[in-house]
Amino acid sequence: MNETAEIAANKHKDYTGAKIGMWLFLFTELFLFFGPFLLYSIFRYRYSTDFINAGSELSLFVGSINTVVLLTSSLSVALSISALQKGNKKLTLLLLGVTIVLGAVFLVNKYFEWDAKIVHGLYPGAEALLSRPKGEILFFGLYFFMTGLHALHVIAGMSVLAVITFFVMRDKVTQSDYVKIENGGLYWHLVDVIWIYLFPLFYLIR
Amino acid sequence: MFGATSILGKAIDSQFFIITGICVALFSIIIFLMLYFSFKYTRKKNPNPTDIEGHAPLELTFLGLSIAIVLLMFYLGWGDYKTIREEIPKDALAVKATGQMWVWSFEYPNGKLSNTLNVPVNKPVRMNIESRDVLHSFFVPAFRVKQDAVPGSVKSVWFTADKEGTYDLFCAEYCGTNHSAMLSKAVVMSEDKFNGWLEGKAEAQAAPPPPGAPTAKGDAKKGAELYSSKGCVACHSTDGSKRIGPSFKGIYGTKVKVTTDGKQREITIDDEYIRSSELTPNADVVVGYQPIMPPQKGILSDGEINSLIEYIKSLK
Amino acid sequence: MSDYAAGAQGNYLQKEGRGGILSWIFSTDHKRIGILYLVAILSLFLVGVTLGFFMRLELITRGPTIMAANTYNSLFTLHGVIMLFLFIIPVTPSVFGNFLLPIMIGAKDVAFPRLNLLSWWFYMAGAFLAILTLLIANGPADTGWTFYAPYSIRTGTNVTLALSAVVVLGFSSILTGINFVTTVHRLRAPGMTWMRLPLFVWAVYATAWIQILATPILGVNLMLVVAERLLGIGIFDPAKGGDPILYQHLFWIYSHPAVYIMILPAMGAISEIVPVFARRTIFGYKAVAYSSIGIAAVGSLVWGHHMFVSGFSYTAGVYFSLFTFFVAIPSAIKVYNWVGSLYKGSLEAATPLLYAFAFIFLFSIGGLTGLILGALSLNIHLHDTYFVVAHFHYVKFGGAGFGFFAALHYWFPKMFGRMYNTKLANVALLLLFIGFNTLFFPLFVLGFQGMPRRYYDYLPQFTNGQLISIVGSWILVAGVILMVGNLIHALFKGKKAQANQWGGATLEWQVPSPPPKENFEEIPEVKYGPYHFKRD
Ligand code: HEA
Ligand code: HEA
Ligand code: HEC
Ligand code: CUA
Ligand SMILES: [Cu+2]
Repeated sequence: MNETAEIAANKHKDYTGAKIGMWLFLFTELFLFFGPFLLYSIFRYRYSTDFINAGSELSLFVGSINTVVLLTSSLSVALSISALQKGNKKLTLLLLGVTIVLGAVFLVNKYFEWDAKIVHGLYPGAEALLSRPKGEILFFGLYFFMTGLHALHVIAGMSVLAVITFFVMRDKVTQSDYVKIENGGLYWHLVDVIWIYLFPLFYLIR
Repeated sequence: MFGATSILGKAIDSQFFIITGICVALFSIIIFLMLYFSFKYTRKKNPNPTDIEGHAPLELTFLGLSIAIVLLMFYLGWGDYKTIREEIPKDALAVKATGQMWVWSFEYPNGKLSNTLNVPVNKPVRMNIESRDVLHSFFVPAFRVKQDAVPGSVKSVWFTADKEGTYDLFCAEYCGTNHSAMLSKAVVMSEDKFNGWLEGKAEAQAAPPPPGAPTAKGDAKKGAELYSSKGCVACHSTDGSKRIGPSFKGIYGTKVKVTTDGKQREITIDDEYIRSSELTPNADVVVGYQPIMPPQKGILSDGEINSLIEYIKSLK
Repeated sequence: MSDYAAGAQGNYLQKEGRGGILSWIFSTDHKRIGILYLVAILSLFLVGVTLGFFMRLELITRGPTIMAANTYNSLFTLHGVIMLFLFIIPVTPSVFGNFLLPIMIGAKDVAFPRLNLLSWWFYMAGAFLAILTLLIANGPADTGWTFYAPYSIRTGTNVTLALSAVVVLGFSSILTGINFVTTVHRLRAPGMTWMRLPLFVWAVYATAWIQILATPILGVNLMLVVAERLLGIGIFDPAKGGDPILYQHLFWIYSHPAVYIMILPAMGAISEIVPVFARRTIFGYKAVAYSSIGIAAVGSLVWGHHMFVSGFSYTAGVYFSLFTFFVAIPSAIKVYNWVGSLYKGSLEAATPLLYAFAFIFLFSIGGLTGLILGALSLNIHLHDTYFVVAHFHYVKFGGAGFGFFAALHYWFPKMFGRMYNTKLANVALLLLFIGFNTLFFPLFVLGFQGMPRRYYDYLPQFTNGQLISIVGSWILVAGVILMVGNLIHALFKGKKAQANQWGGATLEWQVPSPPPKENFEEIPEVKYGPYHFKRD
């Protein structure tokens, strides 16, 4: 029997297959964000000054903190994978926990940031926003849509990691069978990568 | 009913027949071969099939031929499109067409307004197409022209009608409940007649009052015109029959049940109520109807509103 | 149905565990999932065509006949949504792809069986949401299946729910796509090289890529409309600086490739049927295989041909028209090669082949009229008229739909181990074919005369065309009822089918009918291409 036949016989243990599947899924996620990014670039081109004005109202400070938080969490998830590969279950669990907590910190920050905007009447449909130039309305529309969609992905990523933590505890994901944690880590990196694009587009444009 | 009655339309028709001809020819050859083979090579007549895996020169020939054919068709379609889109004559008569749910209104350079499109024969006409609410599409089949009306921008298309007559004018982009009633006519007339019409007083309406003009007194006769030109007719009847909105017949002074902020209450139909029903229709929604009436804020002037009120009053 | 001995394992239809419906709807067996899809999709198909039938009935006279204008508008929206998102997009990949793809490449299941079941559940959830729009207050969406902004943002009907349904269906589609791509890459039996894949597998593989790459864009676009309705973010609302044309771009970036999701698997099925009944290898295997990929690739570059009169730039128009003509080339190659494969064959006029002929006939009309629509200056006149309605019913019902019927008659004996009455099946085909052309051909003429689509009412000059078309719909109804009735009867009372009912050479015909639970007792070793027939 050659390799493919072996895989076919034990259908549930095909690591390469699982990886291919995961990468394809990540592609779909990228394409999901591709749409709004395209809209962003078109409107930015049409209303460049409005975009710059609106962008300077976002808090660069909170944005930078969140960037650091997410980057750190990406690191911790990567470390948790290599910890598991070395067979250190305790450290793996700890690092996964850290990652999830960092995700939560990100969301809490985001909440305060959104709240500050909403208090100032800068949310879609608000009178205060509607009286501003059109480009600014669109900027904030896109801002809430894209960061909201991203926040949903953070929540999804946290849930995935939580399930994986559970699997590690139950020894369903182990040193010799770690493709699930790898895939979970990949997903978390994707969430991070998307943020890396969102950050300059919304916070650094000024 | 089939032939085009505009200069470009005739050109487009001949492209249509050439391209369709090519398609019919291709189709016939393919179906002929399919049937021919299936009668010639039945299991009885040809029990021993021959495996032919392919034939590169033949396949490449077909590929090349097909590319040539489709390029030809593309080229044929391209020429007139360029004329329509890029070569609008400078001296064309400019008519502004405004689509709104579910009427067309046309405005001429001298400010004259109309619900039918009147154009002179053999003179290029440029339509500048706008929309007040959702997408519509200006479509006169006889002239072979169509252009979407997109809110927030002006799109242009042009034609030269070459035969006098009255032609159908449609809205071709789906725009809601009464999309299929958003019809009008394009009337092509001799240039003299057209000029007479354009300057004519008989059926003309005064130009809309300049913005900021003092509140005009209402006039039921003007109201009747507005009723059809502003599209109220699409939703409101004047004979008591129910359309998308309540009928106007005899409603003045009666009581009506409305929903305001989710609560039901009864309200008497007076001037003030009609005014607010037009400006902010979704504030009080008549029970039994959907909140779909387009707000007229910024569309109707005070004078026009007063005229409409007078008109509604007059419908006993 | 389950009294067949199928090797040591028993066949997949036989009772499993406690049996009953639960052993179906929680089964991860790709064959059972295929059947689940078949049942669900066929039911929705009947709902959808019945809506179409009532729409036709409404048009029997001018003015209101049996319904009000907004009911008609909701009907064609629901008809479009059901027919596209719930019937024609999933039907061939989900039913036959699931059932056959693993067997055809010599695998025991798809790469991710549990994900596969999940896709079916997503499909059911989407179907449920779509039907729900009918039942709750405000009524079903009345936007047309295209959901064009800004009307879709303004209307008071259940658009948000309908959009959610489509997004959920999108998930189902994506998961199926990921599953199939991975399956084809990883699970081919030894000796099953890429150039020995059955052409149906090639077609499903190309389809899966479109599903993966295009669906997310539709998903996010519809989410934007939902956000627009709930929050008013302004992206598509000109009052806030947004641009409704951008909605159309994003919509067609998905929905044009989606039309190839519909047609490719059907083409794949035809590419299986033609060589089997001609008993000879397909003419130009590579050309047919690569043209599937070609359609998928070029098909993603032509979306603008739906927008020639939307007012986008002149240059964009020229570009999109040019590519629209190029996308015809791979389809043309397939048609040539099917016809070429009849040459010097030994043809058996069996029901599936007759259905395939009907497919070629109708799809060619549909495709060629697509070219007429793709020609720039003609499109200006024909856009959004009944000509377009006729074009897409020809490619979708005449193409993808008849392709599905052909596949159903071809693989039915394999799936259920029973044969239908072939005489009745042929009569049904004749009725379908006549009814179809009577129903939809007059619409080309109406369209050229200028009858706009999505019209609840029409002017007097369109009466004759409408009447002929309505008569056609009755003939078609008779055909559908006869076809479905014949198949249902065969399901319970049909003669036993042979393992290799038609003398096919692909792997699914080498296992018993119906296939055993695990497909193969031992993974087969593939030594020949898919159309290498044994000769007596
Ligand atoms: C299964 C679905 C399907 C398929 C396969 C196609 C295939 C094609 N379609 Fe169609 N189309 C739709 C479904 C489909 N379409 C739908 C649903 C709409 C309307 C959407 C809406 O607005 O609601 C639409 C609308 C539509 C339009 C927009 C009309 C408008 O609104 O203005 C256009 C314009 O270019 C078009 C073109 C084409 C072309 C060129 C092909 C080509 O791929 C066809 C290629 C096939 C052939 C060419 C025939 C076979 C070949 C031969 C017989 C050999 C000889 C040929 C040559 C040498 C060229 N289609
Ligand atoms: C696969 C896709 C598919 C299929 C198979 C069909 C099938 C049919 N369609 Fe479909 N149609 C679409 C996809 C499809 N349609 C789409 C996408 C649109 C565009 C929507 C939009 O504009 O947004 C459309 C639009 C559309 C219109 C245009 C509406 C308009 O623009 O105003 C019309 C009008 O005649 C129509 C009619 C029909 C008919 C008569 C059938 C016939 O094939 C149906 C024949 C009927 C039967 C076979 C019934 C069988 C019934 C039973 C078995 C039960 C018996 C019940 C009784 C007798 C009551 N369709
Ligand atoms: C899109 C369809 C539509 C159009 C166009 C439309 N209306 Fe209405 N109208 C309605 C509906 C539906 C109602 C009932 C619900 C409500 O009160 O908002 C209504 C209610 C009203 C009422 C209150 C009637 C009553 O019985 O209480 C008045 C007055 C009115 N419209 C005037 C107008 C005028 C004037 C125009 C034209 C400038 C117009 N409408 C255009 C749909 C429409
Ligand atoms: Cu206006 Cu359709
Ligand atoms: Cu298309």
